[in-house]
Amino acid sequence: MDSSSNLYRRKGPLVVFLLPAFVFLLLFLYYPFIQNVINSFSDITGLGRPAEGLNDPWYANYVTLFTDPKLRTALGNTVILTVCTVVFQVGIALVLALLVDSIRVGAQVFRTLYFFPIVISATALGLMFNLIFLYNGGMLNQLLLNLGWITENIDWKNTDHFMFTMLSPVMWQYVGFYFVILVTGLNNISEDLYEAAALDGCTGMNRVRYITLPLLRNVLCTCLVLAITGALKVFDLPWVMFGAGMPQDQGWLTGTYMYDQTFNRGNVDYGSAIAMLIVVLGVVLSNVANRVFKPRHDM
Amino acid sequence: MKRKRLAAIFVTCALILGTLAGCGGKGDAPAATAGGDAGKQTQAAGQAPGASPVELNVVTSYGGDDGNRKNYENAVASYEAATGNTILDASASSNEEWKAKVLTDFETGTEPDVLFFFTNADSEPFIQAGKVVDIETIRAEYPDYASNMRDSMMAVAADGKIYAVPSSGFWENMFVNTKVLEDCGIAVPGPDYTWEQFLLDCETIKAKGYTPIACSLFEVPHYWFEFAVMNNGTLANQLDIPASATDAVGQKWVAALNDIKDLYERGYFPSNTLTATDAETVQMFGDGEAAFLIDGSWKVGYFEGNHADQLGDYAISYVPAKGERVASEAIGGISMGYFITTRAWEDPDKREAAVAFVQHMTSDEVMSDFVTTEVTALKNGASPAGLNELQQSAADANANITGVVPAVQDTVTGECKTDLFANVQNVVTGAMTAEEAVESAIALN
Repeated sequence: MDSSSNLYRRKGPLVVFLLPAFVFLLLFLYYPFIQNVINSFSDITGLGRPAEGLNDPWYANYVTLFTDPKLRTALGNTVILTVCTVVFQVGIALVLALLVDSIRVGAQVFRTLYFFPIVISATALGLMFNLIFLYNGGMLNQLLLNLGWITENIDWKNTDHFMFTMLSPVMWQYVGFYFVILVTGLNNISEDLYEAAALDGCTGMNRVRYITLPLLRNVLCTCLVLAITGALKVFDLPWVMFGAGMPQDQGWLTGTYMYDQTFNRGNVDYGSAIAMLIVVLGVVLSNVANRVFKPRHDM
Repeated sequence: MKRKRLAAIFVTCALILGTLAGCGGKGDAPAATAGGDAGKQTQAAGQAPGASPVELNVVTSYGGDDGNRKNYENAVASYEAATGNTILDASASSNEEWKAKVLTDFETGTEPDVLFFFTNADSEPFIQAGKVVDIETIRAEYPDYASNMRDSMMAVAADGKIYAVPSSGFWENMFVNTKVLEDCGIAVPGPDYTWEQFLLDCETIKAKGYTPIACSLFEVPHYWFEFAVMNNGTLANQLDIPASATDAVGQKWVAALNDIKDLYERGYFPSNTLTATDAETVQMFGDGEAAFLIDGSWKVGYFEGNHADQLGDYAISYVPAKGERVASEAIGGISMGYFITTRAWEDPDKREAAVAFVQHMTSDEVMSDFVTTEVTALKNGASPAGLNELQQSAADANANITGVVPAVQDTVTGECKTDLFANVQNVVTGAMTAEEAVESAIALN
């Protein structure tokens, strides 16, 4: 037995390497999480203020969760956002990946272009889209007016249009993320399979349907799980563009509502209860997604 | 093998040390500037002979697009030049989010050394927590502190002590776009402006294709709320707080909200008033697309900075009156001042620098740069340089003011006003009644 195998048998070095990350998680994830659970049962009237005992009854915030109409709106919008994320973010990314995979020249350029929105901060993107959707002199309204498609400005943030205005930047931002994952998956499919299929007369859409998609299944499953869990955490872009529930309390998401309750209204205990709801939803949905889109190891 | 093990131990130690260093405190910050002070000019007013330059953390509302931002930067620069100290400025625009952040900083022990903040109920949480120093304590060591101010005009906290050295005051009144009014054949309203005449004027302006009132009901409905409350009460009872939506004061607030709803239903606000920001609607007014704008004295600086060549197109007028109120009664007062935090006061390196900074910022000379037409607590009064057209218009309007009262929103808790103003959009669209909105807000006061 040489000394290198001794190293792998000894667990000491492993512990030393794992300890910093474990301590970090303990301090900045598990401790705040447990504190959040306690806060959700406490009476806290301002951020940073000590709790004034438990709520009366102690589960009061959890009762409010079921009766709060704004939270119902937030949950509904978050579900819509999740569905749109799956359909549009992953769907568009798949189409783009298939198209880019089929070209011989310029694939790298497209990869960079589509991935680029990911590296821009959400705040900057929010401000940029605010200018695009601006009511008076916004890019979109000017374009439509000049094309003669509309005769007066459209309020892209009103109750009729806000969902499109809120979702489209979010979709746009993350398409590139899934695109890169899917392109990498496509690159791993052997050219031999395509050549064999071509000899059998399988080309075009049939090639995608019978060769590419089945072999891309595991990567697609990973993308879908990431998309669903990611949608639950969306906060920054909608907050920059819509603030507190614009329009008329119709635009809440679970993340923005939790932030508003905690930081703007000082309703820390209720904000903590909403955070618990988000955690539970995240765990349940990611488990369901993991089961439904379970990767197959025979592929 | 031994080399690999040594490398592994080295990497691990570096990681742990790096983590610990990242979590380290900031107690040794002054050392960072030690090398940069060779060329600093004068020995400080706020710096003991031989002492090292000090870094002061300062938070004010002179951030973003505040009209006095430039004056503030100049005043800070002159303090730094005179003392060799450095101001670490974390100023931002004043809004409810900013107020909440400042209060949170105090709660979490990350408060600044000097704070320019509201002297009303908003400051009570950190005053009651003993996080700021009262003026008497400071004067015991620095007898000249705020000696240029009239004590009678300084805000007194709930414990009977004075904590903040007041800066310039404010007024809120109605800005009018004279070009729009002229095009509509309407005279600039005078101090006898009535609600009935205002509604007629709005109808004329709307028929002419302009937006009568520039206002974001989503972001800043409080300007209209304050005057609507005054229109349904008197100057004397403006600051009364309702116990419920059904008592006399509650009914006054309900009537005020319903007045705003009436204006909304008549189509006098911008068509996107429920989704626009304050900046968008002010821009609209500035660009000559709207006729009336209720705002404060700070907005004069905005127009100077952004519409310097059009200042003659704007004037300060009077908010239309109904009931017992007359249009020459307005919202105003001195609502902000400089606080020195206990943390800075107890730090021997920062105490003198903080005192000198506040004295510099509230000196007659510096205040004269900030003040144009606002009231001050200065014993000698401010001496602003020549007024421009808009400032002169404000001065003329102020000369006719017959009564001033502070804003009622400053006397309720942050949670109460956040809830009340967030629900204005729901009241005007009928999603909620005015009574429900008042009841909901009062429950949080």
